[in-house]
Amino acid sequence: MKLSEIRRGEKKLIEGMTLADMLLLAALVIISVSGFIFIKEAFPQGTDVKIEVNGRLAYKLPLSSDAAIAVKGINGDTIVEIKNRKVRIKESPCPNKICVHQGWIDRGAIICLPNRVMVFIEGSEGKENKTIDAITG
Amino acid sequence: MIEKFKIQDSKVQKANPSFILPLFKGRDGGVIFSSALLLFCSLFILSACSPQKEKVYRKSKVLMDTLITISVVSGSGDKAEKAIDKAFGEIEKLDRLLNFFSDSSELSEINRNAGLKAVAVSPETFEVIEKAIYASGKTNGAFDVTIGSVTTLWDFHKRVKPEDKQIKERLPLVNYKNIILNKKSSSVYLKKSGMLMDLGGAAKGYAADRAVDVLKKQGIKSGLVSIAGDIKAFGLKPDLKPWKVGIRNPHAENKADEIMAAIELTDLAISTSGDYERYFIIEGKRYHHILNPKTGYPAEGCQSVSIIAKDGYVTDAFSTGIFILGTEKGIKLLEEMGLDGIIVDKNGKIHTTSNLRGKLEIIGDSQRRKKTN
Repeated sequence: MKLSEIRRGEKKLIEGMTLADMLLLAALVIISVSGFIFIKEAFPQGTDVKIEVNGRLAYKLPLSSDAAIAVKGINGDTIVEIKNRKVRIKESPCPNKICVHQGWIDRGAIICLPNRVMVFIEGSEGKENKTIDAITG
Repeated sequence: MIEKFKIQDSKVQKANPSFILPLFKGRDGGVIFSSALLLFCSLFILSACSPQKEKVYRKSKVLMDTLITISVVSGSGDKAEKAIDKAFGEIEKLDRLLNFFSDSSELSEINRNAGLKAVAVSPETFEVIEKAIYASGKTNGAFDVTIGSVTTLWDFHKRVKPEDKQIKERLPLVNYKNIILNKKSSSVYLKKSGMLMDLGGAAKGYAADRAVDVLKKQGIKSGLVSIAGDIKAFGLKPDLKPWKVGIRNPHAENKADEIMAAIELTDLAISTSGDYERYFIIEGKRYHHILNPKTGYPAEGCQSVSIIAKDGYVTDAFSTGIFILGTEKGIKLLEEMGLDGIIVDKNGKIHTTSNLRGKLEIIGDSQRRKKTN
């Protein structure tokens, strides 16, 4: 009984629609979908931590969740830590430990040349650096 | 049926107070409006998802004992990756030929045979040495690739400062005029035994030039090759703007102050030499890696020098050469040669060639305070 009532109601609704109504409905659907895409394109949430070894992507992790991982470089394991939206190299088998001394970063990159480990924070550069493509010096 | 639809339609229009309704001037107007909206929206979606949309593709690799990043603009990720890998291949080849520390490089073979015989080399090695000698001549020996025998006395990682006597002994071995090039046999000869050629001041810029050539041959219209501080850019970004390069603040006070200026570049190279890259401090005195070929000691007078020119080998060699010449002589030589440069002197003041005025965007707060003009 109830099901047939609903069906009748649906039928009434569709019968009651004009071409304009249907187009309007389609347009509204498209607006909401394209709006979603537009927001995604215009405001990328690109806060990913990319870890590369020797130029090859090894890990891609969100900056928002805390983690500690051992990344296998050419001389051993580099320990990368993500905490409170910041990243650091905690331990490294390299001789000078320049990467470890760099400490916590929330943008840019940490590069460990001896162990060939590169940690990048993507798409979260500061205001002034946003449009900068490369740095000399 | 049709009549019924018409009636209902008008009823809906009257009853519904939606904000869109005033735009519906009768049924046909509504259809036109909706269709236009539909068309507009689908166009938007198509353009957003189109596979031919140009993007910047980027890849980094450690080569030449430093971090190299290549960015290209392309409509296809596969094409971009292929071109970038070919460019990395070219840099890798140059690294094998020109590496000062590798025994198997052509450069090491030339050095081993110093005072003994001429060594036949590949066209690339010959070309980069030829170009380095040109820069030495123009800077009157302020840039000199035969500094190698003195450089090896210093160790900036282990904080080794050589004895004055040791430096004085080696200085006679430093003179680019004792490099004998023979174009016919493509050979290089170092006249004096013990001479050491170190192409560290020209090879990276040259490699950036070659990498850009490879990218262009692969059909890439726009890109940027960054080999440590040596950068070469060509073409425009997808937003049709030139590439923007930040210049590091030589003595930054904090992280926010890391970049002192930015400049837009297209079809140009930029290189920077600074006293902050490799150095150690003993008794308050800074000893850095840019050695004056005339004295064998770190050059004084500048904190950093950035040079802008068409070719990477020019910017690389002249950033070192001008650093050693100092602010006054440096700016004068740059103006004479029609090159552009930014010099931060020992007090942190920024000096630029006249052509650059207005083109440089000063960023860091501490630099804004110090800027001279």
